[in-house]
Amino acid sequence: MLFNSYPFILLFLPAVLAGYFWLGRRSNLAPVIWLALASLAFYAIGSWQFVGLLLISIAFNYGVGYLLIAAKLAPMQRKAALALGVVGDLLVLGIFKYAGFVAENINALAGTHVAVHILLPVGISFYTFTQIAFLVDAYRGQVARYALPHYALFVTYFPHLIAGPILHHKDMIPQFERKETKYPDAHLILCGIVIFAIGLFKKTCLADGIQPLVALAFEARSPSFDQAWCGALAYTFQLYFDFSGYSDMAIGLSLMFGIFLPVNFNSPYKATSIVEFWRGWHMTLSQFLRDYLYISLGGNRRGRVLRYVNLMITMLLGGLWHGAAWTFVAWGALHGAYLCVNHAFNALVPNVPALLVRPARIVGAILTFLAVVVAWVFFRAESVTWALRVLHAMADPSNIVLGREEIAALVLVSIYAALVWLAPNTQAIMGYDHDNRRVGEALPAGRMRPLFLYGASLVLALGILGIQSHSEFIYFRF
Amino acid sequence: MRGNFTHLRRLLLASIACVLGAAVLTYLVDPLQLFRPSRLAFYSDDTRVQNAGLIRSQSFDTAFMGTSLAIRFRQSDIDRALGVHSLKLAMTGSNSRQQGFVLERAIERGARRVIWAMDDFIFVDAADIEADPFLSVDLYRQTTKGIASYLFSAAMAKESLFALLRSIPPLQQKLTQAAPFLPVKFALSDVDDIYALSRDFDIARDYNAKKTLASFAYITSPVRSRFLGEGCGYDAMLRHFERDAVGLITRHPGVTFDIYLPPYSILQFVAMRDASPATLKIVTDLTARIAERLTQLPNVRLYDFRAIRAVTHDLNNYSDVIHHSPVVDAMVLNWLMRGEYRVDPEAPLASLDALKAQIEAYRVER
Repeated sequence: MLFNSYPFILLFLPAVLAGYFWLGRRSNLAPVIWLALASLAFYAIGSWQFVGLLLISIAFNYGVGYLLIAAKLAPMQRKAALALGVVGDLLVLGIFKYAGFVAENINALAGTHVAVHILLPVGISFYTFTQIAFLVDAYRGQVARYALPHYALFVTYFPHLIAGPILHHKDMIPQFERKETKYPDAHLILCGIVIFAIGLFKKTCLADGIQPLVALAFEARSPSFDQAWCGALAYTFQLYFDFSGYSDMAIGLSLMFGIFLPVNFNSPYKATSIVEFWRGWHMTLSQFLRDYLYISLGGNRRGRVLRYVNLMITMLLGGLWHGAAWTFVAWGALHGAYLCVNHAFNALVPNVPALLVRPARIVGAILTFLAVVVAWVFFRAESVTWALRVLHAMADPSNIVLGREEIAALVLVSIYAALVWLAPNTQAIMGYDHDNRRVGEALPAGRMRPLFLYGASLVLALGILGIQSHSEFIYFRF
Repeated sequence: MRGNFTHLRRLLLASIACVLGAAVLTYLVDPLQLFRPSRLAFYSDDTRVQNAGLIRSQSFDTAFMGTSLAIRFRQSDIDRALGVHSLKLAMTGSNSRQQGFVLERAIERGARRVIWAMDDFIFVDAADIEADPFLSVDLYRQTTKGIASYLFSAAMAKESLFALLRSIPPLQQKLTQAAPFLPVKFALSDVDDIYALSRDFDIARDYNAKKTLASFAYITSPVRSRFLGEGCGYDAMLRHFERDAVGLITRHPGVTFDIYLPPYSILQFVAMRDASPATLKIVTDLTARIAERLTQLPNVRLYDFRAIRAVTHDLNNYSDVIHHSPVVDAMVLNWLMRGEYRVDPEAPLASLDALKAQIEAYRVER
């Protein structure tokens, strides 16, 4: 089921909200169970064949977590339990996500013809990562024992289940346990609807609106210079509005239930360095990779060279996490290389003269954006060869068409660029403060300025009117 | 708390009002001309949507159908050459199911003659039209769902708003001139311009032997040659042909079908010969079956333009191995007008045999 669908907005969401608050008047546990069941129903509507796998995964991890938290195991046994949990999770992820890719490469190398066709369970990358983090923290002694319904809801919670943001148990489960979240809070519901509306608008009007231009670069056999740039930029903006729109919707939906989800995007295309870009793009994934992969590998504690090696490994695996294809590996490798260059530059030039700070930031922003666009070409292309063809066209200004279609594309891309660089992001508009559990505090003070309220109504209306029958989120593929 | 619930109610009511306002705007402006024809209408290159409105708003006696190979024709040229009142409904990348469905709607609205550029690959992937995400059957059938999807659409509201702005006298001329370069779909002021190349288009720049040979090298490269036969299966293609073409023709015995097999460059077949012989066999077998079957139908005139050496061997006529220039479009109309290259029902495979001999003999100049 998609957030940007009429059945979800008009039927599923109102029904789940009504049931949640109705049960909330009677018990603190019943709404949790209701929401977990509703989340399973949400998952089952689109992917019924994988509900069993999801339930097994929850039971397995909860069981291993129990061993790590409650059972009195010797240190070696604890280590073995953690290894069992993490290896089990990665094995399942590996089989479903990477078996076909591995077989394909073995075939290419050995000339064999082994065919592996396994459907990818929706959301498996997300619910596997959240649970690995839970196990690692349980091993580190950082987890209190959680009741099964709360744990199950943490994993299945429908606003994030299919495409994130990646949640952390320490952030979520205490919120599920709080009694106050079970009563309808008009302010949170109002803010939730506005944030949801912004996300829906981003998805249905902005991301879906620019999607046709992507074909200029990625479906043409030999795009011209301007077509390749328009297509690559169109994808750059489509991906951002698609995924940040989804994240906004997830945050907005969750807020209606009184639950604060972490922010996942913070104007990444305004970044002045690639390090800053990763602090603003898919922030929960960046945090996961940092806390559970980069730091586990040794981070920057084992010297400069190993730091760069760790960065490369982290980004390569981060790329592979997005999909089982060499294009994602190339994308990860590029970002790993960018990060290494960025850190090396910072080490070589620790202080920029005051006079040059502003120009340096402008140059940094331009270079960062260009580097990101180049990497997205690999992310989007069908193959590395195809990506190289697009990049070749982007580097060949002698072949320019600039016909009617290209000029129209350029105008549209410019509008999106202005939105990305000049408009405030959702959390800035709404004053969303995840850490302090605050949102929209400036609104009542301004007596809900009519302009804001009616502007939000228009955004919601346009978001709903923009719903198309054949739209899907790019991140569903991961 | 009460204040917040008031704001919430106000937000939702205002949203409903906006949604209804957008629907009323689209209904009044009617960019597709689905409800009423308009002299001030603008047209779109998005043919899968635009055709639904054209069929309802235009008067015509002849429907013109095809894929990207037929998309550059101008209705006025068709009318002049063939003495008809045509409606061009060609859709890039369309399959036989989509083409058959749209033609059926055109016949229901009065087309007595159909001119159909029939590519063999339209039969490769012709999925169920009822579940086709790229062509809204409900819009064409004007069901409640179709009308709702038209009225309750941000994209259509945007077009309607732009059309409204364009009707304001001081803005009229400037917006009309700028429209083709703005992100609006309904930008063309003349129905004749849908997908047609501008009159001053530099044909030699886009259609030349260099581009054609480059395309040939590209599709026959060992890493890509397997795509030549992707999705091709004789039985499925034949089934789609019977359902979508023969089914439509036999359901409408009062309609004349002028069907032609378009003049691809010879390199299209040579590519299959060299890189995917099995695909070539499927294509030629299917063509044989099409020729035998269609020539037996009393309301069909079948033309085969694929063995006209003067055209298909002159690679300057093409932008890749299949897409021919507007110069060839004009020739096609001329051949249709004169009845040239019509397939003889007594010898339906003659032109195919000539083509096979040409394919066999052709040597690519590298």
